[in-house]
Amino acid sequence: MANEPTRPSAPDGTTAQYRSHATPSDSGTLRLVAAFVAGAPFAGLVAAVEVAVVTAALGVPLSAAPVAVGLVAFAVYAADHVADAEGDIGSTPVRARIALRYADQLMVAAAVSYGLAVALAAGAGPAALALVLVPGAVWIGYATDWLPAAGDLVAPLGEVSVPRLKDVFLLNSAAVALAWAVAVVAAPLAFAGVPVDSAGAPAVALLFAYVFARSFVDVEVPNVRDVAADAARGVATLPVVYGVSGTRRALLAVDAVAAGLLAATAATGAASTPALAALGVGLAVSVTVTALADRLGGAALGVAPDCSYLVAGAVLLAIGW
Amino acid sequence: MAALSPLSVALLVAVTVGLAAAILAWRERPEPGATWLAVLLTGQVWWATFLVFELEATTLPAKALWYDVQWVGVVAIPVGWLFFALAYTGYDRYVTPFSVALVSVIPVATVAVAAAGDPGDLLAVDRVVRETAVGTFLDVVPGPLYYVIAGYTYLLGAVGSVPLIQLIRDDARPFRGQSAALLVGTAAPWAGNLAHLSGAVPIPGLDPTPLAFAVSGVAYLLALSRFRLLTLAPAPRRRARQLVFEQLHDPVFVVGTEGLLVDLNECAAETFGIDRRDAIGEPAATVVPKYDAIRELDGTDADKPRPIPIVGRDGQRPYEATVRDVVDDHDRTTARVITFHDVGAYLGQQQRLNVLNRVFRHDVRTETNLIQGYAEQLRSDPTDERALSIIEESAGRMLELSERTRTAGELFDPTEESETAPLTDAVDEAVAEARAVAPDARIEVGQVAPVPVPVVLEVVLGNLCTNAVRHNDADAPWMRIDAAVADGWVEVTVADDGPGIDPAEYDVLDRGTETPLRHGSGIGLWIVKWGVDHLGGRISFDEREPTGTVVTVCVPVDRSETPGAGPDGEPPDPHLDDPAPSDESGSLGPPPNAGR
Repeated sequence: MANEPTRPSAPDGTTAQYRSHATPSDSGTLRLVAAFVAGAPFAGLVAAVEVAVVTAALGVPLSAAPVAVGLVAFAVYAADHVADAEGDIGSTPVRARIALRYADQLMVAAAVSYGLAVALAAGAGPAALALVLVPGAVWIGYATDWLPAAGDLVAPLGEVSVPRLKDVFLLNSAAVALAWAVAVVAAPLAFAGVPVDSAGAPAVALLFAYVFARSFVDVEVPNVRDVAADAARGVATLPVVYGVSGTRRALLAVDAVAAGLLAATAATGAASTPALAALGVGLAVSVTVTALADRLGGAALGVAPDCSYLVAGAVLLAIGW
Repeated sequence: MAALSPLSVALLVAVTVGLAAAILAWRERPEPGATWLAVLLTGQVWWATFLVFELEATTLPAKALWYDVQWVGVVAIPVGWLFFALAYTGYDRYVTPFSVALVSVIPVATVAVAAAGDPGDLLAVDRVVRETAVGTFLDVVPGPLYYVIAGYTYLLGAVGSVPLIQLIRDDARPFRGQSAALLVGTAAPWAGNLAHLSGAVPIPGLDPTPLAFAVSGVAYLLALSRFRLLTLAPAPRRRARQLVFEQLHDPVFVVGTEGLLVDLNECAAETFGIDRRDAIGEPAATVVPKYDAIRELDGTDADKPRPIPIVGRDGQRPYEATVRDVVDDHDRTTARVITFHDVGAYLGQQQRLNVLNRVFRHDVRTETNLIQGYAEQLRSDPTDERALSIIEESAGRMLELSERTRTAGELFDPTEESETAPLTDAVDEAVAEARAVAPDARIEVGQVAPVPVPVVLEVVLGNLCTNAVRHNDADAPWMRIDAAVADGWVEVTVADDGPGIDPAEYDVLDRGTETPLRHGSGIGLWIVKWGVDHLGGRISFDEREPTGTVVTVCVPVDRSETPGAGPDGEPPDPHLDDPAPSDESGSLGPPPNAGR
């Protein structure tokens, strides 16, 4: 989701953050705070808004689901930023520097955040508990060496090596998108104790597919900015494999599919029309961001895809939800 | 779902804190104990979480289901605690797949019984739903297995607490803090469970143990953050101390109060050729070299170590022994640690300085005075051939002294790598030197085994042979050299029919020090002694009938050569492959006692 932009290099080859003596301290502090807020806290906020919008779309009572999923998002992204801080130095130096310097504090915050989310979910019942565990479980398979280690255990001779999910082309983004689709769509139902049938199974399935497609786009768009760093680390992403133009076309196609899914959801009549309209506005923002992927600066590209949900949330509030 | 009961809210606080601590503990892998602490905390979270479900369920079957699920967490806690404590405090050798499987038998059986629906009412004889002021509980009447797993849990908890309690008295403040926090974190649920089992809790069916997990979580979080639990674990200290003991370059023995050997380090085993497995438990007198002499080093003597000549694997070396008492917390002596310090190099250096000092102070000065005196005589009578001859002889002796001093220096040059040569070559070289000194001498060479020996032996034999013929006043001096190999030792004898060596020379060599009144007549015998000492060997002198001397030198065979082929491609001496006896002389047999 949110990513910190790469600072432009100076003519002498240094980057801005390494020339802090030339920068007023207050602006440096401000930049650090901005980088921190644009990191895991922003991801948490976006996730909470996503769940709230989907809650409205499904017409289920508001519950603790947005808070719980927001806390999980914060925890997972904070842990991810800490785990990959050294590798992120090239693409998101300020965020990586924060993650390196405050690794322990960030991990304590992430751990407490996840603990709180699990407690909220446990209070809502077994289904909600299972749901909040999904993103954490996916992250463990996605970013840690647990899968390769397990693979080595199964095949100790090294004939078959299991890579990190994060390093597998397309599957990496799909796994993240799937985890968020499960959490975002199922959490409102589970936390409110509403069965899928009551909410309308077709509408739930279509919204799930929509969030999955949108999350996939949101994950891949920032990769346009990270193409050099990912290529250097051997991580296969759409921009690394198909280039920026190919990526833009592919993601626009996915957005088009998302639009179709949104229309189909509306056709079921089970979803809230204002919420679907708000999601439509958000989708339009997403399409714009995707179209401008190679023109937007690093800062904008880091947060713009996720801003589509914030726009959707704002629209929903504006039209009186 | 309806509003949560206050009890559930309290449990969810425990879940929050416990899960946060579990994640932080898991992150510290592979630090000692991290994984097991995460298991322990996850067990607590599991128990508390499913207790919430049990509390919030409205029917008896639903409550019973969640009650049974809780067993997974209940049994994981003591197992996690035990192995965490062992790994964290450095007893990780007890944390093996086998021990984990063994300890897990009863917990796994308990979970299996719960999963099977508690056949035979092993876990619960009866289950009743009770309405109370603080919530709806499942009141369980325990079955026999319940008491078994409860007792087993207490047992594992107590065993795991032992090494942590030891840390409370540790000198290091962080470890005291860590262990205190951990013990508090463990004691809180225990207290809750004891209250439940003893019926002290006024609300029927309420087991406050999971509620106390909130205290545990806070304590563990405090230990993790404030006292740097896991990032500053005491586990390596036991290993490090053991490593220092094992890798110490001095031989060390630990002898119990009953005089039995408790332990010895690798250096002791290697130096004295001792099999550790056989030696431990044996009387120290049969294993520790010169134990009878060392055991007398009590009280004040212990502070004044003295050199003790001991035959080690590489021959006879002088060691200094120090004895230290091992005292327990009640000031009782539980064992004695005997440490041997190899002082051969130090004593040898001191000895060489003494001799060289004497050579310069006495021998050189005498010769110089002689030269000066006869030079004066030549000045008054330039035709005095005798004076000229004496000056030449004196200068020759000084030159020879100078050469021998240089040889002595080279013997102990630490930059020189130890070279080996066949014994036959060493003998031939020594004989050639003797022939050069006394061309008329009758020199016999007996049987010489073709084993590899250090080249230092060549210097030793060269000095012995030249001394044998040089200091022989017979018209045709006789000398014989023999060399035999036995039990890994080379025994070379040099016999002559000369006037014999003055006993005062032996005396000085034996004492190892010279005084202005008691000193040797040259440096040749010292070179022989130093060379033999350097090789870890032994030298002895015998008188011959009717006249003459037999000098016997015993040195270890050089075994740095590749086994399987002797020098010059000849097969090695069969003695080299003989199994070495296990006594104080190490992997070699004792040097043949040539007597005196």
